Amino acid sequence: MKTVIRNTTIADKLLFLILITASVAGIFFSREAMPQGPDIVITVDGKPLYTLPRDKDRLVSIPGPFGDTVVEIKDGKVRVKEAHCPNRLCEKQGWISRGAIVCLPNHIVITVGGKAGDLPRGIDAVTG
Amino acid sequence: MKETRPAEQRAEETMKKSCGGQAILLAVLLLFAVSCSKSPGVYRKTKPLMDTLVTITVVASSDKEADAAIEKAFSVIERFGDKIDFFKETSELAAINRNAGVSPVKVSPETLGVIERAIYISGISDGAFDATIGPEIKMWDFYKKIRPSDDAIRHNLSLVNYRNIIVNRDKSTVFLRKKGMLMDLGGIAKGYAADLALANLRQSGIGAGIVAAAGDIRAFGLKPDGTPWNVGIKNPRQKSDADDLMATARLSNKAVSTSGDYERYFIEDGRRYHHILDPKTGYPAGQCRSVTVISDDGIFADGFTTAVFVLGPEKGMKLVRDSGVDAVIVDKDGTIHTTLGIKKMVTFEDGH
Repeated sequence: MKTVIRNTTIADKLLFLILITASVAGIFFSREAMPQGPDIVITVDGKPLYTLPRDKDRLVSIPGPFGDTVVEIKDGKVRVKEAHCPNRLCEKQGWISRGAIVCLPNHIVITVGGKAGDLPRGIDAVTG
Repeated sequence: MKETRPAEQRAEETMKKSCGGQAILLAVLLLFAVSCSKSPGVYRKTKPLMDTLVTITVVASSDKEADAAIEKAFSVIERFGDKIDFFKETSELAAINRNAGVSPVKVSPETLGVIERAIYISGISDGAFDATIGPEIKMWDFYKKIRPSDDAIRHNLSLVNYRNIIVNRDKSTVFLRKKGMLMDLGGIAKGYAADLALANLRQSGIGAGIVAAAGDIRAFGLKPDGTPWNVGIKNPRQKSDADDLMATARLSNKAVSTSGDYERYFIEDGRRYHHILDPKTGYPAGQCRSVTVISDDGIFADGFTTAVFVLGPEKGMKLVRDSGVDAVIVDKDGTIHTTLGIKKMVTFEDGH
């Protein structure tokens, strides 16, 4: 071990420094890329249109091909209060405090806490 | 990472000469090589399709390769989803339902394929799974807590019978024999969509990944570290975020699906009314909380979960054993029943 250390040049030390900095920076970058917090995100046509705190009650109207879809946030939960699409599955889903509501005809996805398709640690998919 | 090895060796040789400048240059080159190397990575994308969220994960050597393959697979699911959409007037399924008791309807090979398999699962489960449950399910509204009258349920039962789905393979037509019959492929279509998407990913040269049409999942190949994919199984009676999952399955080249009484339901007078109806009674099946099936194909995993849920733990276990698939059944009291094959694939959380 001692000979290894003795044989290292300044260049070697610089190399280690660069490698260590790069790996540590990686940790911070990935943290930055995944914001935490239980915000409610409303995505329309694949673009996040609203990011709303879940602790503030409000109604949001989103225009779409089938008229306005009304999203309600109350007591930390979210629901589709009014939808005018043919199946209205989103409205039937009721209040959620985690996960996602999908309204396909209106191209709206509402997610609570993180982005759509987020998974627990070490898990690649969830069934059920 | 393979490409970086010769660079490292060269770096060692250079260092013997103690030539600092060259070593730094090599260090920079090495970093460059690491960031540009074509070592396989895991890429994931989610899209709302088939009234749910579909997530596709692939192992690919670049973002570009992954994105192209995933988008192609998404479009396969979208096209199939449009054909069998119960609510879309222009779908092939809507045409079949509109022409119930009137005339056979010509359909695409995918629609014919999913209906033939639906009939097969109905047959081997003695009607515990039945795609003609439409007239019953449409009377319920689990959000507004609307329960149909006993009379209405009894009346519509005469329209529920998979034997009245007439498939003509040569002409590629489907006919519902009685007027008023309604086919709903919701209990099987997402599993089939996962199968179709996986075949398409393979065509694009993807060797490993996961197609997850909500909870209907097909995992293939291995992760870049050589281990199988980890698929969490939801706890049917979750109390907090911490006990969200009851178990984890390690899967490669397998399909897994789950049906539970916690997905769409309401509780009235202490009784739980949920969306998995027994085709023989028209009422929610009461013997299970959740059923997870692991099989080779998505469509069978998806179809079997409903069949086993309706049959209950005893008859359901017999069906899965006879069919050569594996299952985890949580019965109405919370007791877990598993096939022998589950031991090798599934690890349960403490308390389950």
